[in-house]
Amino acid sequence: MIATVVGSYPKIPNRPRPARLRNAIARFDRGDVSSEELDKVADEVTIEALQEQAEAGLDLVTDGQIRWEDEQTYLARKLSGVSINGLIRWFDTNMYYRQPVIEGPVGWREPITVRDYAFAVEHSAKPVKPVLTGPYTLARLAVDQHYNSVDALATAFAEALNQEAKALQQAGAKLIQFNEPAVLTHKDDFPDFGAISRRLVDGLNVETSVYFYFGNVDGIYPQLLDLPFDLIGLDFVMGAANEGLLHRSPFTKKLGLGIVDARNTRLESPQQIAERIKSLAGNLPPDHIHVSPSAGLEFLPREVAQEKLRNLAQGVRQAEGVLV
Amino acid sequence: MSKGLLTTTVGSFPKPDYLQKARNQFAAGKLPLDELQELERKATREVIALQEELGIDILVDGEMARGDMVVYFAEHLQGMEIGGLVRSYGNRYYHKPIVKGGLRWTEPITLELWRFAQGLTDKPVKGMLTGPYTMVEWSFLEGYDDRRTAVLEMAKAVHMEAVELDRAGAAYIQIDEPALSTRLEDLELAIEAMGVVTEGLRAKTLTHICYGDFVSVYPRFLDMPVVQFDLEMANSGHDLVELFKAKGFPEGKEIAWGVFDVHTHVVETVDEVKTAIKRGLEVLPPERLFIDPDCGLKTRTWDEAEAQLRVMMQGVHEVRQELGIE
Repeated sequence: MIATVVGSYPKIPNRPRPARLRNAIARFDRGDVSSEELDKVADEVTIEALQEQAEAGLDLVTDGQIRWEDEQTYLARKLSGVSINGLIRWFDTNMYYRQPVIEGPVGWREPITVRDYAFAVEHSAKPVKPVLTGPYTLARLAVDQHYNSVDALATAFAEALNQEAKALQQAGAKLIQFNEPAVLTHKDDFPDFGAISRRLVDGLNVETSVYFYFGNVDGIYPQLLDLPFDLIGLDFVMGAANEGLLHRSPFTKKLGLGIVDARNTRLESPQQIAERIKSLAGNLPPDHIHVSPSAGLEFLPREVAQEKLRNLAQGVRQAEGVLV
Repeated sequence: MSKGLLTTTVGSFPKPDYLQKARNQFAAGKLPLDELQELERKATREVIALQEELGIDILVDGEMARGDMVVYFAEHLQGMEIGGLVRSYGNRYYHKPIVKGGLRWTEPITLELWRFAQGLTDKPVKGMLTGPYTMVEWSFLEGYDDRRTAVLEMAKAVHMEAVELDRAGAAYIQIDEPALSTRLEDLELAIEAMGVVTEGLRAKTLTHICYGDFVSVYPRFLDMPVVQFDLEMANSGHDLVELFKAKGFPEGKEIAWGVFDVHTHVVETVDEVKTAIKRGLEVLPPERLFIDPDCGLKTRTWDEAEAQLRVMMQGVHEVRQELGIE
């Protein structure tokens, strides 16, 4: 089994540790430090995030998305045809993102995350997976002034992200993940999501995964097993109904078990996690199971996120029977 | 006071620079509490004076002592703790509170500053509370096994504070539930909790809720046990107007009609404000139609807030004159 994360990692720790990235960004905004100095701090904080994930015992880590302003902007602002507008609430969280505005044809110009990925690989003790916000979620959370169709816009994002994924593949990525929470809030659009996804992974020959969170997949399961991804991650915290769905129709792909609550500080014990894995894993072979928090970890204070990951990794080892 | 189209604001005002600086110094342990509180009162005086000068009818204290609307109450309620830093957007972080369990109101939270503000003016100053659903939804939840229990326990605590304001003579008590708009599936819980908060109050009760898919929960939504709904009508593109016109709006209830979007730095024109007011008049008579900005003003600069409110008041005066109620 693989103990892993869904994407983001908290960018700053709490006192007495210094909030280095926050301070560096504030100084940069005031013009007191150069962009090179800010970059250096972001790199150092990325290394911290990699180390903390490894220390917690994870098997597969991310760069923590330390440079990401939010899940939409970081990718969208580097694509042509997109400008970035004002703040708006991200799903039902208490976090805000800047809303991308689609002013013309969406196009991929240059690698966006490849440097981050390569840097993380170089400084990580554990394998790294690149994580991208998926095309449907990018489209759904944008203001579309050009395509007048979510499907057409999502397809355009899929084409752009396909090029990004190919660049990541070339940089050595073995598994590329796409996060698609918006699919669960707009299940009516699911019939179009298959074609969007096929466009997204077209020509890739590495493993791919898609993560759905902030809800359950009732109504789109088991159809989603036909999606062209090798691994599908589900949220068993906000999507409690997912468990029953899995019992009704067998899961035929690799399964991402999002079972540690990424949005609440209440800790799950390793025992609880191990039991949850056993009850959800069914007859899947252990190497087809990736266990993670329910979503990215930026909703938690850094120290709580770290403790949750330690418990997660221990729970996974217990479930494997490696530890008692 | 005019016979209709009474004006108000949603709650928060921008904090003057000296107060923001003092809050930072206090947080860093470099300023004693009594000096901070003196500056909060100074700023409150300025907020009241500005509203008086603008001719607003129902005032607010501007929430000069509050940073985050949930954290402020969490700091004063038994059973809550202030947690670690969580990012809210960009480079902004806040200490997200934790519901630890055993929620209990032990002492007045908002009363002293409300009393101070009401003592500065003959006009009514609204009592301002964060609603129980939002308090729980925007906190971490450790101490209760289910959210429903936590929200209803929180409602009892908020009710205690509302009773204090009521006894002290607050004519209006506003209980804000901005978290509800993204989770309208929890409407029944929010209604039940609001019933606990407002039970037995003499004051006129109202709630501010951010824009959401109200069409899907209409008219059940109107059973929220408050007299007045404060709604973001400008930001919602006025699509609610058609709903109200088609399905009606109950006799006993009122709307505080948001006429300008606070999320943009653009100052609306008087004509835009008048158009928005007239849309409101298509649904409600002027006695039950209150006029205000869409949302709290704390993210504006002082000058922007003043300019926007001045335009709002000009629009209101002109419409009142057209109606012959001023």
